[in-house]
Amino acid sequence: MHPASVYTDFMYISIFLLVALIFAIIPIIISYLIVKRSKGIKRDETYESGMAPIGPAWVQFSIAYYIFALIFLAFDVDVLYLFPVGLAYGNFHIRDFVEIVIFIGILSLVIVYAWRKGVFEWQRRF
Amino acid sequence: MEHILSNELGRLIVGLIVVLIFSQLNALFLVWLERKVAGHIQLRIGPKEVGPYGLLQTIVDGLKLVGKELITPKRADRILFIIAPVLVFVPVLVPFIVLPFSKSLPLNDMNVGLLVIFSFSTINVLAILIGGWGSNNKYALLGAIRSVAQNIAYEIPLLLSVLSVVLMTKTLQMSKIVQAQGSYWFFLIQPIAALTYFICATAETNRAPFDIPEAESELVAGFHTEFSGMRFGLFFLAEYTNVFVVCAVATTLFLGGWQGPFGFSLGIPGIIWFLAKTYLLVFVIMWFRWTFPRLRFDQLISFSWKVLIPLALANLIITAGVIKLI
Repeated sequence: MHPASVYTDFMYISIFLLVALIFAIIPIIISYLIVKRSKGIKRDETYESGMAPIGPAWVQFSIAYYIFALIFLAFDVDVLYLFPVGLAYGNFHIRDFVEIVIFIGILSLVIVYAWRKGVFEWQRRF
Repeated sequence: MEHILSNELGRLIVGLIVVLIFSQLNALFLVWLERKVAGHIQLRIGPKEVGPYGLLQTIVDGLKLVGKELITPKRADRILFIIAPVLVFVPVLVPFIVLPFSKSLPLNDMNVGLLVIFSFSTINVLAILIGGWGSNNKYALLGAIRSVAQNIAYEIPLLLSVLSVVLMTKTLQMSKIVQAQGSYWFFLIQPIAALTYFICATAETNRAPFDIPEAESELVAGFHTEFSGMRFGLFFLAEYTNVFVVCAVATTLFLGGWQGPFGFSLGIPGIIWFLAKTYLLVFVIMWFRWTFPRLRFDQLISFSWKVLIPLALANLIITAGVIKLI
């Protein structure tokens, strides 16, 4: 690959990110400048369907989400490895097919394991 | 070198301006379209007062949003609360660099185009989590957690279905993927991958029936409950731009991009084909919203892990096997 084109790619992405950033900030600044401010003790209160909020929202939540995050991590990293495989696939006689089957086979065990452990049955166990 | 740079720079600047205008117009149009579609499906007529067929309604709404006060709740984490709406908007323009609107019109036809799109569209989840957590609001936090769990669950089958296409084309370059479907579009040979992709794309953009993160009947507005004025507007803009992008990627991967059916262009320019297919898919996603009831959260998550992922994995192996046989 031509080295100059890599720089072009980076240039495109960084400039697009930068302009999007500016574009996102401008209307907020305009808003700050032109808006009439309201007053009142309830104005900055957290919304909780009209009641006074009871305690902060930063509390413990179900550990089930944590397990999903763990399975996801196992999967997503492995799926990333499949992208280079997809690009190089077919360069070897039959070996790459066998390898991809073994790889996905082991990967599938994650789901089988979680399924057997009952992660997907959402009950009040935690 | 100097010559290339100046040329590229011109292309970049023109492209950037066009993309900026297009993405804004697109979002305005989609909001209007959604209200019209919703209206007609529910036997109403939708917006009609401002401009012809109510077309200017969204512009007026946008101006109203700019004029609304930006309230930061006193219990919120101020920094995170301010960052979130900006962060959600920053990556939405990047996919337009590689989207192949026509043969010569991916702005910059990177050889890792697909990866660029997926890596930048994932930042969306981060922004939602930051916004939901930073609000220090129970509805917002619940919405954000659900959104993250849903997005990561549906991301895997999404990538797997895309991989089935990559296995066949052996490239991540958007224009080459389109060229590989010269005579037949990929949804004909990869129907399972196409279906999986489309379901996951609907879920990734938090659209109904996967709109649990912002389920208004139970969570007020989900992760953007506390955001007012233009901050909410940015979430909205980003959402509609993302809807366009996932549909454009679906068009590229499965519907032949800028090409007409079976290689006949019928004299219609490629960009028209591309936009027509993309907006057709956008319409289908809107149609979903007013047709399907919302799923319960555990059903939603287990549908991905129990059905979509095994299906996508099986499809990947079958694809790999069939490629070997041919």
